[in-house]
Amino acid sequence: MRNVASNHFDLIVAGAGISGITSAAAAASRGLQVALVSSAPGSFVFGAGCVEIDHMDRNTPSLAEALEFFRNLSQLAECGFRGGLEEKRYIPTIMGCFQTVSLAPFYMWNGDPSAANQVVVVGIRGLSSFDSSFVADRLAYHAGKLGRATTYTAHEINLSTAAGTLPGTLQFGNRYDRDPRFREEVRDALLSIAAKADLVILPGILGLKSRNSEIERLENQLDCMICELPTLPPSIPGMRLFNRLEAHLRRVGVEFFTGFPIQQLQIENGHCQGVLLDTPARPLELTSETLILATGPFSGKLLGATFAGVNQDLQPIHAKGSVIADNLFAVGAILRNCSARNLNATAILTGYVGGMLAARVGVQYA
Amino acid sequence: MRNDDVLLDNCLKCSDCNMACPVVKVHPAFPGPKRLGPELERLRREGIHCDTEWVEYCLSCDRCDLACPNQVNVSELIARAKGAHEKPFVRKWRDILLARPELLGKLGQVAPRITNFFLGSKPVRLLLSKFMKITPERSLPAYNKSPLRVTKTAVNQGERVVFFPGCFIQYNQPELGCRVLQLLQLNGFEPELANPGCCGMPSLANGDPEEARKCAQAIVNSMMEAIDAGARIVTACSSCGLMLKTGFAHMLEGDAELAKKADKIAANTFDLAELLVAQQDAGKLNTHFALPINKLKLAYHAPCHQRAQGIGRPWYNLLRQVPGVEIEDLNAGCCGMGGTYGFKEEKHTVSMEVGSELFAGIRASAPQAVVTECATCQMQIEHGTGVRVVHPADILLNALCDCCNRLPLEIDLNTVSDSYVL
Repeated sequence: MRNVASNHFDLIVAGAGISGITSAAAAASRGLQVALVSSAPGSFVFGAGCVEIDHMDRNTPSLAEALEFFRNLSQLAECGFRGGLEEKRYIPTIMGCFQTVSLAPFYMWNGDPSAANQVVVVGIRGLSSFDSSFVADRLAYHAGKLGRATTYTAHEINLSTAAGTLPGTLQFGNRYDRDPRFREEVRDALLSIAAKADLVILPGILGLKSRNSEIERLENQLDCMICELPTLPPSIPGMRLFNRLEAHLRRVGVEFFTGFPIQQLQIENGHCQGVLLDTPARPLELTSETLILATGPFSGKLLGATFAGVNQDLQPIHAKGSVIADNLFAVGAILRNCSARNLNATAILTGYVGGMLAARVGVQYA
Repeated sequence: MRNDDVLLDNCLKCSDCNMACPVVKVHPAFPGPKRLGPELERLRREGIHCDTEWVEYCLSCDRCDLACPNQVNVSELIARAKGAHEKPFVRKWRDILLARPELLGKLGQVAPRITNFFLGSKPVRLLLSKFMKITPERSLPAYNKSPLRVTKTAVNQGERVVFFPGCFIQYNQPELGCRVLQLLQLNGFEPELANPGCCGMPSLANGDPEEARKCAQAIVNSMMEAIDAGARIVTACSSCGLMLKTGFAHMLEGDAELAKKADKIAANTFDLAELLVAQQDAGKLNTHFALPINKLKLAYHAPCHQRAQGIGRPWYNLLRQVPGVEIEDLNAGCCGMGGTYGFKEEKHTVSMEVGSELFAGIRASAPQAVVTECATCQMQIEHGTGVRVVHPADILLNALCDCCNRLPLEIDLNTVSDSYVL
């Protein structure tokens, strides 16, 4: 009998943000037995996964391939993204401005002013984190600056709340997942508004687990496009993305170790044996052939004081230029050349390249 | 995860804990772990009175701790607030009883048939509901007529391990305890039984930290001899395991000597599956499965306190290697039982709503049996779905049952049956 219970893997990916997930998926797609260790679900709680590449060189090696891989991954996970390397859209935010995006979940992709003439920004009475008048006014102003004649009107709907509670996106998101009557309530509240509009913009409330098909069904019922914006944390669309990607990775056999930070990388003589996780009673030791560090911007200390970025193969190096470990890669925001502007694009690019390098597939980076 | 060194100010209010909380999911009025834990703790530490009944609605599932990206010990903060919370008279007395499963077990075993008859009769349940606020909606676990006891161990010359059964195996499911001992023997260990005692988890969950401390102290004192002699402790109940691994040192921190011993206990406590996986890594796992094995379709539910131990999914990974077994990891959240939580009249509805996602997952999977290592998850799943639930040790031992007739261990128990054969 093959020992599948062992804590030894082909690849350990540390970090469950967008880069770690991309790495794990890329390696798993090449047949690697992958463990994904993380202390929490990345930064999905703050956003919705829009990918900007405007501030990057579009000819960066492997970028097109990586974005295509991620788009396919999102489709398999039933949270399909739209867009691609050559595309560019203006996606609204709750602050009423537009961000330039090349790849986004379809329910955000819809928000571009060129796709609609009549847009209604729908607020929910009592929901403090989304002000429909403010958003509509500002979007009209910014659409004008972009030379679009789209009209934005604000509207407020009432949604029921549980006794003794104030409206909140988490409450609505959870009820949308669990209660078919609440789904009908949302649909009915939007019906008359959607009848006069091409696009409805609303705060993110359409479930923490919904598949794309479920949101498309709502669009069909309303006969109108929906654009859902992430609000203050927790971002419902962001967590939905995480939940769908996680479910997909579990299906393809990635083993999750969630909730425990890395205590130590076990590096000896320039080779990384594995990690020690900070688990109760004693550290859990996981070992692997290869390790990818996707632990975010504040995790450089795991690599020690001499960590000075990565070489062209994404291997972390000492200040003097030698690699820290021959089987170790670093991807995502831990890389110091990540700027806030193209963070997700860099995360997907490096995550994909890291996963492929771990699977010993020749890919080029930088 | 639990980390007592972490400052309260590590809470960034990201709401990951609220997102992970099973009670928040079904009960929007519940303020959630972020509020009940770090937010109110700031006020509590300033001496501002902010006691709220909501702390009682915490399931103690520890999912908030796992979700926190900054290692704030959210559930610990809520447990402390629970301990200080003033309850109305009836609920207070009920919770004092529910916090003491060992006492109830000892009473129940005096005359188990009569006890079980009374606990199963409608009028008694209505009285319990009226005067004790214990829901009549679900059946109470039956007591076994003889507790788990080992009379003679043949010399096995394996590694000495001490099996800590916990109250449920001790008083309600002693036959499961026997099978755990058998499984240990079959895998080259020389098991012995720990002195009976409660791990203190029920006391902590019922807001009785003083009682939990007494439990911890008693166990630490009774276990030290074996630990010092190099034995390891084995648990088969995930809540007992978590308590031995994480709860004791914190509760006993006032006494440096005891705290040191508690750390030693923690470092030497292993879940049964953890030990078996280590045996497999060493090439010593008993895989002499009886053949032929009929095809068995199972669904695995990981108890919250199993997840909180940070040991991966050892049972799931062990069972899926057994020939003929087809097992699916349900991964459908908390069952909602929360130990004694689901027995409480005012919390029964919430408990069932929390479990509804898991119940739906089980119905969709349509297994012959559900596998889970927590006894109260088992009660809840059987109550919510009617599907049979077994401990994973049952399945593994059953797959090896050819060897069972040749066991060197004698167990003083009239009730050992082969009812676990599926």
